[in-house]
Amino acid sequence: MVKESGYQWKLGMFVIVGLFLFVGTIYFVGKQKNLFGSTIELYSKFNSVNGLAVGNNVRLSGINIGTVEDIEFLNDTSVVIKMVIKDEVRKYIKKDAVASINSDGLMGDKVLTITSGKKSTILINDQDYIRSKKAIEMDDLMVSVKKSVDNAGLITAELAQFSSSMNNGDGALSKLVSDKKFGNSVDNMVTSLEASASEFETFTTSMNNGKGALSKLISNERMGNSIDSSLTNVKTATKGLNEVIEAAKHNFLLRGFFNKKKKVEDKKLEEEQEIEEAEMKKALKMDQKNDSINK
Amino acid sequence: MNQTLTIQKERLGTYLNQSFIEVGRATEFAIRFFKEAIRPPYEFKELLKQCYLIGYKSLPLVTITGFIMGLVLTLQSRPTLAEFGAESWLPSMVALSLIREIAPVITALICAGKVASGIGAELGSMKVTEQIDAMEVSAINPFKYLVVTRIMATTLMIPLLVIYADGIGIVGGYMGINIHGDVNVVRYLSQVIESITFLDIFPATIKTFFFGYFIGMIGCYKGYNAENGTESVGKAANSAVVTASLTIFIIDMIAVQVTDLFF
Amino acid sequence: MEKNYTLQNSNPVIEIKDLHKSFGTNEVLKGVTFNLNKGENLVVLGKSGSGKSITIKCIVGLIKIDSGIITVFNQEINSLEIDELNKIRTRIGFLFQNAALYDSMSVRENLSFTLRRHDTTLSGDAINEHVLEVLESVGLKEAIDKMPSELSGGMRKRIGLARTLILKPEIILYDEPTTGLDTITSREISELILELRQKNKTSSIIITHDMPCARLTSDRIVILKEGVIHVEGTYDELEKSEDEWVRSFFI
Repeated sequence: MVKESGYQWKLGMFVIVGLFLFVGTIYFVGKQKNLFGSTIELYSKFNSVNGLAVGNNVRLSGINIGTVEDIEFLNDTSVVIKMVIKDEVRKYIKKDAVASINSDGLMGDKVLTITSGKKSTILINDQDYIRSKKAIEMDDLMVSVKKSVDNAGLITAELAQFSSSMNNGDGALSKLVSDKKFGNSVDNMVTSLEASASEFETFTTSMNNGKGALSKLISNERMGNSIDSSLTNVKTATKGLNEVIEAAKHNFLLRGFFNKKKKVEDKKLEEEQEIEEAEMKKALKMDQKNDSINK
Repeated sequence: MNQTLTIQKERLGTYLNQSFIEVGRATEFAIRFFKEAIRPPYEFKELLKQCYLIGYKSLPLVTITGFIMGLVLTLQSRPTLAEFGAESWLPSMVALSLIREIAPVITALICAGKVASGIGAELGSMKVTEQIDAMEVSAINPFKYLVVTRIMATTLMIPLLVIYADGIGIVGGYMGINIHGDVNVVRYLSQVIESITFLDIFPATIKTFFFGYFIGMIGCYKGYNAENGTESVGKAANSAVVTASLTIFIIDMIAVQVTDLFF
Repeated sequence: MEKNYTLQNSNPVIEIKDLHKSFGTNEVLKGVTFNLNKGENLVVLGKSGSGKSITIKCIVGLIKIDSGIITVFNQEINSLEIDELNKIRTRIGFLFQNAALYDSMSVRENLSFTLRRHDTTLSGDAINEHVLEVLESVGLKEAIDKMPSELSGGMRKRIGLARTLILKPEIILYDEPTTGLDTITSREISELILELRQKNKTSSIIITHDMPCARLTSDRIVILKEGVIHVEGTYDELEKSEDEWVRSFFI
């Protein structure tokens, strides 16, 4: 009898410890999935759940607060997700909270992330619907990336065309960059410009210090005075001559000659003006043409 | 030439026939278990004794194998996971493979070796020495006393042993992880618990009941139907182990399919 | 002879008529017919493999018969439901060739095992009392807490006998009770069989090859040959039989 109760005691321990292990595991796993303790249910409508599955975690500020309980089709374009979250975090979720679906790492599960609302001050209730944000799908991401890649392609193609025409073309800009002859002539021009500048320098120097007429004209004071007086004389002489011519104009004998002379002179002036205008117009047109080419 | 062919054909025929008869008898035996198990009187005391012998007495064996399974699985998985840079998944992976597959199957196989052969040999020798007949003529139902208690004991104890193997395997996994690094127990356990869902636990647990039932059933069937002669005792034990092990794999395969189908 | 016939007519506890049994193609019993009368010790003789053991196993329903009628206590064994068959089985004791003690149990458990299941009202003390009583009747009181593996062949037989006796059977079937035992122990067992009949007023069928045992215990002898009862009579009658084959048993 003693022997019997001995084995029964051991068997009892064995069974109890085993069941304890099992129930403990069930409890902890259940706690993980919020099967025990008070919870609330929330709903959110999505167009696509991106592979989110029943049992995935629900996170708020990166903390697991619940799990996805159910995923059902609402109609042909939308899916409603039922999530069960701990009642204790209800106070952090406002009416304007937004649910979105993210990936937990590159290879990891999907998670449902709730972003707590900011503006609203009203807490959510059990069975509430919260707004959803369209998930960043890999496809969408790829579409936008493709757009930028296409644009980049276009830009580089044009850039390539531009640089090639610059290298091989006949335009002024391309000549500026690549024509040797043009470069030489510019070089020559600069050299001759230098030479003339130095000549001009000697000219001005000699003009300032020399004893020639021109130099005296500029620098000699006495000569300046004499020129002044001679110019005054010339002025007086012309004045006298003018009076004579005026008198002659009024003389009827000479009136005809003077009129004729005046007419010819007017005509000549007009013609000269017309030619000048035409030339100006021509030059303007040329400019415009050049501009358009360079564009 | 033709004659040998006909002889072979006949042999094949008798072989097939015998196989069918064997399966039929085993099925009858299995069904008889349920009939007898339901009908009173119940042999509670013998059931407890068998539970003790099958469950408690197998615990050391299961403990050692469970520990080694967890340890080895961790050490072997680490290099592969490290290659993907997913070493942090080691606890989850070890826990999941232990609970879903390795602990149930290895424990069942160990018990097939220990328990099924033990039952096969015990009942076989009882049959050969007319102890089963003796029970029957003294108006005691030997099926109820010997077979029902043993099958019930294996059906109840194997799942329990698997739970132990799960637990000890996870401890072994922790040891395995700590050989290379230093991981906090709480962190390890929380990662293990986090990765487990009920869908991992329940199908695996239900599966172990079937393992237990078939280990007991096959051991009893082989022993109970042993022929006369001492030699047949060894044969019964041997064939019990082989058949039980094979059956475990077949059940495992079916269980995976069924689990896939429903969950 | 005269006395035997009156017994037979008055009260047969077992009647076997035209019993057939074959295993595969091997026809072992080909129409065995005999009766066991109340209070009688019937010895069944026969060569090995002549179907003696099979005949008594048929009586307790261990082996299903092919055809024929077996009536025990006026009830036909074949047509009985298992519950009713078990009721009859409790009234029949069966001593197996090797005693068939339950290896995993002690002597005490071996004896109380059956009793406990047939009378659930008995208290532990009452069972203990019964166990001691039957052990005393076979003279092995001291072996009560031994395991069967610790017992000698003769002791095993006695314990086996004690186990059959514990339910107070009205009929005891002995399957070679003295086989494998030395002459002295065989004699003790034979005397025990007689003693028990005296005490409990049981009827018995004794299968044996052991002629001293047959001589000592038998009221009547039947000899099986080729699946049928070849001859029937008392020990003295058969010893002086004109049939040489029958006489050869008694040499």
